[in-house]
Amino acid sequence: MENLKLVIVGHVDHGKSTLIGRLFYDTDSLPEGRIEEIREICEALGKELEFAYVMDHLEEERDQGITIDTAQTFFRTKKRQYTIIDAPGHVEFLKNMITGASQAEAAILIVDVNEGVQEQTRRHAYILSLLGLDQVIVVMNKMDLINYKEEMYDEVKKELLKFLESININPTYVIPISAKGGDFIAKKTRNLSWYDGPTVLEALDTFKTKNSPRDKPLRFPVQDVYKYDKRISVGRIESGIIRVGDKIKILPSGEETIVKSIAEYMKENVMQAEAGKSTGIVTQDKVFVDRGDVITHLEDLPVITDTINAHIFWMDKQPFKKPERLLFKCATQEVMCSIEKIERVIDSSTLRLLRRDADEIRNREVADTVIKTEKPVVVEDFNKIQELGRFVLQRKDTCAGGIITNIQKE
Amino acid sequence: MIIIMAVDALEYEKVEEFNCRNLKQKCYGKTDISEFSQPRTMVLWSSFMTGKNKEEEVLRKGDKEMWNITWGLEETLFSEFKSPVVLDLPGFNYDKKVHDKSRELLKKFFDAKDDEEKRKIRREYNNDAFEHHKKVKQDFLRAIKEKHDLVLGYFSIADVIGHLNFGNTTMMRMIYKELDEIAAEINSKGKLIILSDHGMKPIGVFGDHSSYGFWSTNFETKLRNPRITDFYDFIIELKRKQE
Repeated sequence: MENLKLVIVGHVDHGKSTLIGRLFYDTDSLPEGRIEEIREICEALGKELEFAYVMDHLEEERDQGITIDTAQTFFRTKKRQYTIIDAPGHVEFLKNMITGASQAEAAILIVDVNEGVQEQTRRHAYILSLLGLDQVIVVMNKMDLINYKEEMYDEVKKELLKFLESININPTYVIPISAKGGDFIAKKTRNLSWYDGPTVLEALDTFKTKNSPRDKPLRFPVQDVYKYDKRISVGRIESGIIRVGDKIKILPSGEETIVKSIAEYMKENVMQAEAGKSTGIVTQDKVFVDRGDVITHLEDLPVITDTINAHIFWMDKQPFKKPERLLFKCATQEVMCSIEKIERVIDSSTLRLLRRDADEIRNREVADTVIKTEKPVVVEDFNKIQELGRFVLQRKDTCAGGIITNIQKE
Repeated sequence: MIIIMAVDALEYEKVEEFNCRNLKQKCYGKTDISEFSQPRTMVLWSSFMTGKNKEEEVLRKGDKEMWNITWGLEETLFSEFKSPVVLDLPGFNYDKKVHDKSRELLKKFFDAKDDEEKRKIRREYNNDAFEHHKKVKQDFLRAIKEKHDLVLGYFSIADVIGHLNFGNTTMMRMIYKELDEIAAEINSKGKLIILSDHGMKPIGVFGDHSSYGFWSTNFETKLRNPRITDFYDFIIELKRKQE
């Protein structure tokens, strides 16, 4: 079943847990009996059913390792499965997105229509912009508290859209909802008869999943080269498909050859290998291949460069200070680099601009940088092929994660 | 008005984990009950209201009989007040029938061999606790609206529910949220002290008493790691300051 990774962000009290609970409830994605138990306790305490407790239950399952993937939870529509990526706080979210621990394909930004746009709403929206997420739904929650009045909705919507425009986010949908009451989550209700747009689930179902890495251009970073009677280049195919007979290019050298055979342990006559597979290839010609090289087809090539524009998230107590040299690691490539320019530094917690044209990046700061590698590297824009658009910087241990935003071709 | 929310088995770590801001109030921490051989409910509340370590006296009555102890008003800090309201406090005026029933159901639960029977008993046990809680809560909120110089409400729900369900995080979170909401509702009505006798620690899916209690106030205090008996003088002093 198709899967779309979704992150829900917004101010802490604006109803995120209730919305998640409601999405699970309305799509019948909860384990049997659990909602009844929650309903019973709510009734016993003389309260209405609170969907936020569903979120607690999901967290509890995760804490106990009941769900298969410990960081993620799922709900389903007829069209596809949705994975909600946990975003406990925006610092963690930013860090996870940058280091590749989680990759959201779409986002819901939740705003309490009664309270309007808050500082945290702005911060979270800013992160979506930073990460280049372009499938965004804004939900105006708690419409029940303002008696479903269109005027107040319009007012908050206007203010929010003005801000979003200033940070280059153009939400695909803005939907008035009441997560508590279930208005316009899965069902269109009369309470909001003046609104003629889709429900949240209908809106989500119009989004596109990122292409499967299988459908993307071939990227085969070489992990090692085994030298027996033949030379076998081994590694994991990050994207695309490689077939026997394919014309290929070895980067960064640019040498070209043809795939003679695909070598896999205990298997014969393997004719192709696709994204996600660890495999080995033998080439027709004697070409020089080494660890860190990237094998591609002859078209739709990545970029070979020594100058990269990147957002980096510093996560080491010891700050970076120019002109320190660091190890740049991207896929299987490892090369020393320096951070040539620190254009601006942002506090990941407040998202306040701290410094421009800086010399230093401290713990938990995000910086727009220009990185210069000591040898050319094979990279991509993060939004094109994430596996080659993401890197880490190391001293003895990892001290920063980064995503490539712009590549300066050699 | 001085308001005391006496919560049996309110666990410090859970208050932190569930981030119950209203239970934490302005100042909060753990109480030191290390002078007692075990964290027993009747011993601790008796010591609280009399300002004296009553362990020996209470234990002398024996496990069963200790639940019948009733301290006279003159022996307690409540005698310092003109119109105190004390609701359901063990060792003073608690509804023994309700507490006897929950202890009886608890025993039945552990004696039951069949899962279905256990489920039925657990449901009855939980429902009884919720019903009793609703009643105490109603009386407590009503008393706070009246003119009294002291209102103390004793809430046993975290203890009773916790013994059978401490491993059910969803349920415990709901209980703590309920208590947190009560604290939110009353914290502007007077000087509020929230106090537990002991906390609770997990024993598999069940819960047993932990070896410290919880305290908090909605005003600045110098209390750091107080003993439960310290609250006797503390509350009387607070009353004098108010006069």
